[in-house]
Amino acid sequence: MWRDALLVGGKDLRIEARSRVALAQIAPFGMIVLVLFAFALGPDQSPLVHAAPGLFWVAVLFSTVLAVQRSVAVEAGDATRDGLRLAGLDPAGIFLGKAAAVGAQLLVLQAVLAAGVLLLFGARVVHPWLLLGTCLAGAVGLAASGTLYGALSAGVRLRETLLPFLLLPVVAPVLLAGTRLWQSSLAGGAPDAGASWMRLLLVFDAVYVALGVVVFGPLTEAA
Amino acid sequence: MTTIAPPADPRLAEGAPATGPDGSARLRATLWTLGVLGAVSTGATVWLGIWVTPPDKVQGNLVRLVYLHPGVAWVALYLAFGLAALASLLYLWPRTRSLVWDRLAAAAVEVGVVFTACTLISGSIWGRPTWGVWWAWDARLTSTAVLLVLFLGYLALRRVPAEPHVRARRSAFAALFAAVDVPIVHFSVLWWRTLHQGATVLNPTLSPEIHGSMAWTLLLGIVALTVDFAWMLVVRYRIGLLEDRLGAEELDRAIDARRAEGGAA
Amino acid sequence: MNYVVAGYSITLGILFVYAVSLGFRRRRLARAVAAVEAARAPVTPPDPRSPQ
Repeated sequence: MWRDALLVGGKDLRIEARSRVALAQIAPFGMIVLVLFAFALGPDQSPLVHAAPGLFWVAVLFSTVLAVQRSVAVEAGDATRDGLRLAGLDPAGIFLGKAAAVGAQLLVLQAVLAAGVLLLFGARVVHPWLLLGTCLAGAVGLAASGTLYGALSAGVRLRETLLPFLLLPVVAPVLLAGTRLWQSSLAGGAPDAGASWMRLLLVFDAVYVALGVVVFGPLTEAA
Repeated sequence: MTTIAPPADPRLAEGAPATGPDGSARLRATLWTLGVLGAVSTGATVWLGIWVTPPDKVQGNLVRLVYLHPGVAWVALYLAFGLAALASLLYLWPRTRSLVWDRLAAAAVEVGVVFTACTLISGSIWGRPTWGVWWAWDARLTSTAVLLVLFLGYLALRRVPAEPHVRARRSAFAALFAAVDVPIVHFSVLWWRTLHQGATVLNPTLSPEIHGSMAWTLLLGIVALTVDFAWMLVVRYRIGLLEDRLGAEELDRAIDARRAEGGAA
Repeated sequence: MNYVVAGYSITLGILFVYAVSLGFRRRRLARAVAAVEAARAPVTPPDPRSPQ
């Protein structure tokens, strides 16, 4: 299973390394979202700093939708899905590999967006480790749930419009937990119950990773 | 919930019912009984709730809305979506795989979405004079709204045309993924904020804070809306069945037509 | 009290309209199925005309 995961994840990341879709299109899209938020909220520094954690996570969520659509599109052409199945790969491995590839791209996106938030909005980090941990846990959860919904919508007509509609409400807890955790790790934010939010995020991760490992086989077979 | 016996009738399995398009005589009798029961009990709830029960000491006349709202909410949030989740699981379980469960899940979600919308609307109408706002970002309101959006997504997914078993499997997985999320959404929104009053009705002991006739009216309201729900569920199930049957018939007819063309040529 | 009346009438009104629409949808489909099946019944018997 782990070997298959490495193979599939490596394949997706190599495709990304050659096509540069995530870096050249999705990351700039996220930055545009941040800039648009700044336009919407006005040029004053204080509301921007106040809203920075939420804006960051909203931008990450939108980018997740694009990253997942890209991850599905990679398999859509040339009957690649059938190819993966014919190659005898473990479905759980395929799931973990694809999720890991999406997660890795999300981490890069988060780094770009975090730099944007810190530079453009002038937010200051107080607890860098909490910030990093939140990003990592958020990326795992978004990648796992996104990959599941990507597989669900893979064979569906109209999936471009359906996927955000299905995925975004499901990942609402990641937005809530991520925002709260960022608020407590940035300067000026109220230090509230960070531990319980982190636990919530980890539960979300565990649930969707486990669900994917168990369900990905029946979900993709004979779709 | 013995009233949903008709959908579980094995003869209806896989869209090959033995009865005519209007259903068996027993089904029609059940529907008739359910409909009359639902209408009478709902009417009685309205009568008791608006004219008979006394106004509350704290809430005044507004307490009358509380006879309707919990019943709607109970049907929407527990009965309908619980049933949909259960039916989806039964479809996914290979031994019990049958389009019966798929149709039941579809019916439960559609009716449940209507009840959820009614929950939000009746809650909002109560909240306006009580809290002073139509909408408050309170925990239960927000998680109910998220639930509504989740299951609207389910219905949108169902609308995409596909072969019945493909659609059934896809929808069942979507319901499963969404159902798993519901408790997480619940807790996240709960910690995010809360100002809603605690659950008054479904406490283990019928709360002593509620006056006698009020408690009975409340209970009657829950029963009445459950019966209404059962009626709608059965009718919606029949609609799904007839749609599948019509689809199959039209396919057959199209095939016959092609055959006839082939024979003529 | 206005809110109470509004609450009851809007909530129950929505449920009632939905129930009526369900009834109509069911009846229309039942008619369509009956029509299709009636149209089909006389066509099926001459089976041997299939090209063999």
